[in-house]
Amino acid sequence: MQGGSSGIGYGLKYQARCISDVKADTDYTSFLTGTLSLKEENEVHLLRLSSGGSELICEGLFSHPNEIWDLASCPFDQRIFSTVFSTGESFGAAIWQIPELYGQLNSPQLERVASLDAHVDSVLWWPSGRCDKLISMDEQNIFLWSLACSNKSAEVLSKDSAGMLHSLSGGAWDPHDVNAVAATGESSVQFWDLRTMKKVNSIERAHVRGVDYNPKREHILITAEDESGIHVWDLRKAKAPVQELPGHTHWTWAVKCNPEYDGLILPVGSTRQRVNLLLNSYTDYEDSVYGLAWSSREPWVFASLSYDGRVVIESVKPFLPRL
Amino acid sequence: MATEAAPMDEKAKRMRDLLSSFYTPDPSISTPTSSISTSFDNINGPSFDADQYMDLMIKKSNLDVLLQRHVQMAAEIKNLDTDLQMLVYENYNKFISATDTIKRMKSNIFGMEGNMDQLLHKIMSVQSRSDGVNTSLFEKREHIEKLHRTRNLLRKVQFIYDLPARLQKCIKSEAYGDAVRFYTGAMPILKVYGDTSFKDCRRASEEAIETIIKNLQTKLFSDSESIQARAEAAVLLKQLDVPVDSLKDKLLEKLEQSLDGLQINPDEASKLAEHNVSSKDEESNNQGPAKIHEDAVRGFSEAMRAYREIFPDSEERLFKLARALTTTHFENMELYIRKRVSAADFLGIFRIIWEDVVLMDEVLPEAALSDLSAEAAQVTLKQFVARTFSHLQQDISDTLLKFDINQKEVVDGEVLKVVLEASGKAEFRQLLDENTGIFVKMNDLLIGWIQKGFQDFFRSLESHFLVLSGKTSSSNETEGLVEGKSSEKIHAGLILVLAQLSVVIEQKVIPRIAEEITASFSGGNSQAFIPGELCRVFHAASEKLLQHYIDTRTQKISNVLRKRFKTPNWVKHKEPREVHMYVDMLLQQLEEVGKEVKQILPQGTFRKHKRSDSNGSNTTTSSRSTTLHSDKMARSNSQRARSQLFETHLAKLFKQKVEIFTKVEFTQESVVTTTVKLCLKSLQEYVRLQTFNRSGFQQIQLDIQFLKAPLKETVEDEAAIDFLLDEVIVAASERCLDVTPLEPPILDKLIQAKLAKSKEHNNNNNKTTVSS
Repeated sequence: MQGGSSGIGYGLKYQARCISDVKADTDYTSFLTGTLSLKEENEVHLLRLSSGGSELICEGLFSHPNEIWDLASCPFDQRIFSTVFSTGESFGAAIWQIPELYGQLNSPQLERVASLDAHVDSVLWWPSGRCDKLISMDEQNIFLWSLACSNKSAEVLSKDSAGMLHSLSGGAWDPHDVNAVAATGESSVQFWDLRTMKKVNSIERAHVRGVDYNPKREHILITAEDESGIHVWDLRKAKAPVQELPGHTHWTWAVKCNPEYDGLILPVGSTRQRVNLLLNSYTDYEDSVYGLAWSSREPWVFASLSYDGRVVIESVKPFLPRL
Repeated sequence: MATEAAPMDEKAKRMRDLLSSFYTPDPSISTPTSSISTSFDNINGPSFDADQYMDLMIKKSNLDVLLQRHVQMAAEIKNLDTDLQMLVYENYNKFISATDTIKRMKSNIFGMEGNMDQLLHKIMSVQSRSDGVNTSLFEKREHIEKLHRTRNLLRKVQFIYDLPARLQKCIKSEAYGDAVRFYTGAMPILKVYGDTSFKDCRRASEEAIETIIKNLQTKLFSDSESIQARAEAAVLLKQLDVPVDSLKDKLLEKLEQSLDGLQINPDEASKLAEHNVSSKDEESNNQGPAKIHEDAVRGFSEAMRAYREIFPDSEERLFKLARALTTTHFENMELYIRKRVSAADFLGIFRIIWEDVVLMDEVLPEAALSDLSAEAAQVTLKQFVARTFSHLQQDISDTLLKFDINQKEVVDGEVLKVVLEASGKAEFRQLLDENTGIFVKMNDLLIGWIQKGFQDFFRSLESHFLVLSGKTSSSNETEGLVEGKSSEKIHAGLILVLAQLSVVIEQKVIPRIAEEITASFSGGNSQAFIPGELCRVFHAASEKLLQHYIDTRTQKISNVLRKRFKTPNWVKHKEPREVHMYVDMLLQQLEEVGKEVKQILPQGTFRKHKRSDSNGSNTTTSSRSTTLHSDKMARSNSQRARSQLFETHLAKLFKQKVEIFTKVEFTQESVVTTTVKLCLKSLQEYVRLQTFNRSGFQQIQLDIQFLKAPLKETVEDEAAIDFLLDEVIVAASERCLDVTPLEPPILDKLIQAKLAKSKEHNNNNNKTTVSS
């Protein structure tokens, strides 16, 4: 509503929490986002940044049976993505395939590839490439799935329980190590080795909302926390943070490392509706921002999604020479 | 003579020429006269042209003048002639008299030869007579000489025989000097003939000498003897070939041992210092340990003076001793100041040491004791300054750690701190005012140290504050670990105190110190104390700490909220019967914050009514939004959620963009308000994560409605609070499957019931406290 907005906006019909970069799409910079509406029919939007970078075009609009709490695009197949949804009483997750479009735009149905039949909070794909395994988490358990797109099935390979008290809420898969995954819990960030499916390490830190591995530097992890901002950790000495960055006035909801530029960290939070970058603050938001994604194709571009359903694409290019 | 004069005419002419050239330094004057006087052809002057001269005369002058000139010239010529004649006469006279004299000499020399022969003859006879006398006397002279030698020998023998007795006499009269002189004189003889003819004599004298040596040694060792006497004794001993070095060693060892007694015991130093100070005040109290110490050192230095004179070659050793004493002094000093020492005591000890050094320096100026002690003093002083600062910091952190909820003490603590600062300054000023020799030299250095000390002190104080607050710095990992563990235990109030302290330091203490420094500690070439930088540091620290306080507080409240929203299944919520417990807890926490804040932070400059004037527009918009909102709530029954969302957007559009999170200020109101805002925001976020049924929504509605009144009471920015409370309701309605708000009468009833209950509860509480 105020001037000076440099971003490209796109409005969803309903409130929304999640946005994901379509990593497998090498031709266009595209994002997937899904709505969070309790009573209406929810939608998944496939958005594409026009080649001039000046417009955000809706490439596909698909209806989704439930409100979407989390969404992740498959890193090796641009038509496949996962959602975590709520039926009102419980959470579930599914893998979907976008149908062939053939130029039409009339809300075709998504094809359900597989259902991860559990009480799921979060679904993770391995970020670094083709890997037919998936991780899902619910409050107490972590599951490793084997996904077979061809015969539309997913089965649990192994699982481990984090314990009643930990209530896992999300996590990140180490891009440097296919066997390492981090999960955020009530009072700590926990690390699993997927080969043994055992907990190997943890950072005692309460109220971590978001976690991300640095894709450029091994062992470096960033966390976003409710009250105390953003911390950078070296997992080899996990007792104290390496660095403390000022967070948001209120909670910092999510934090993402840039896939290309080392040290470029993007946190979003629930106050003043802003996306804060150490280089710049983007404050042109009307509500809390929960969704956040860097484009892997154009690493200076990121998409953010505020609760009121506004997708904003921003470019950090003007600030990059300073890095 | 006249005849002789004629032939000399030619000669005279030549003479005249020579004379003229000799007597006239300026030829231009003489030549014309001479040329005129002789003939016009003859030119004596080097550049004279007679024709030209004539022409000139004739042309220039009339006849009268020419005639006059002629007369004049003729007169001059005549004069010259007379002069010349006079000269010739005089010379001729002299020549005549010379010739006469020669003639007389010729006649006188006649007859001298004969006299000379006579003289020679007489001299020859004198010589032969003298030879005769010489030969006749030779024999007698030989004899006399022999007798004389014998007499000398006999005299020596007599001396040696007398030696023992003489020595005894000397011993009796203590004329050791004479005795030694005698003995050493007799030594060569005794050495040669000691074993034969003078055996007894030698033994006796050796015995006597032994007594003498013994006496001399006692004399040397006795402190009561005058230095002069002792020195003499030493010299005599040396002359007697007694091994003096061993004696010297013995004496010096004794001296060295006495050093132990001279040391300043660190444990007793304060007593010493005290007495030193007090003895200054009242001269009667002279028998204090300080006096004793001074006497001891005086004695020591006297001894050194004596030894130095006695054994000139022992200087090195004495230097070493003096240096050792000085060094141990400073070492002990260092031990002493490891404990807490006031500047007065420190100076007291320092003064004593300096006096000692001065005493010793008088005796041994070459030992460069003052340089040595100046160096040592620098080190000690530097340490003292550093220690004083660290004690200061220790005091502060002790005071802070003793911190109690009972917050009156906090204020005291603050006062204490300021006092500490002042005392610190006073101590340093005392140091500076001290004009003991060393200090004068070190003033500049001292100023530098003090400035740097303050700078470092404040810097470390700041980091110490951060550590105390549990806001660990990542730079120090081990520390971070330890602090991280204990951070749970750190009382939130302490953080607030630290924040406020930082403000005090920034605004009052540092400027005051800066003032003090410019007043009393300026002049050093180093400007190590940079108040601007420190102010910035503490400003940043205070903001960080305040933020940290708010964070810690909201974290606690967040935990309450988290539990509230995680445990029940909101979709299956039962009808609300009363305001939920967590509201009480929330209010209680906020009350605690309010309490802490009230005791520590100052009040804001403006109170509510004033602020609502200035922010009037905000209040109105918010009230409008409330009405708008309640309208919406009323209608929301029949309306679809879709349009509701739209309406929410619309409402936001109409609302002024309320800047919810403004900068936190160091006022009670600002801190409380910020805390409340953050809590409400958290509440909203928690609500957004849930899905509610009708009753669940109603419960939220009830809780929020109840919260409204007490929150507004405590808070500065009502508009923002209204807005945030509404946001919670909106969030709940958005996440609600069936939005049916409670009817206002029921809402009212439930709230009244809750109020009554809490009142009763309070009363009960009061009663129990009274009864107990």
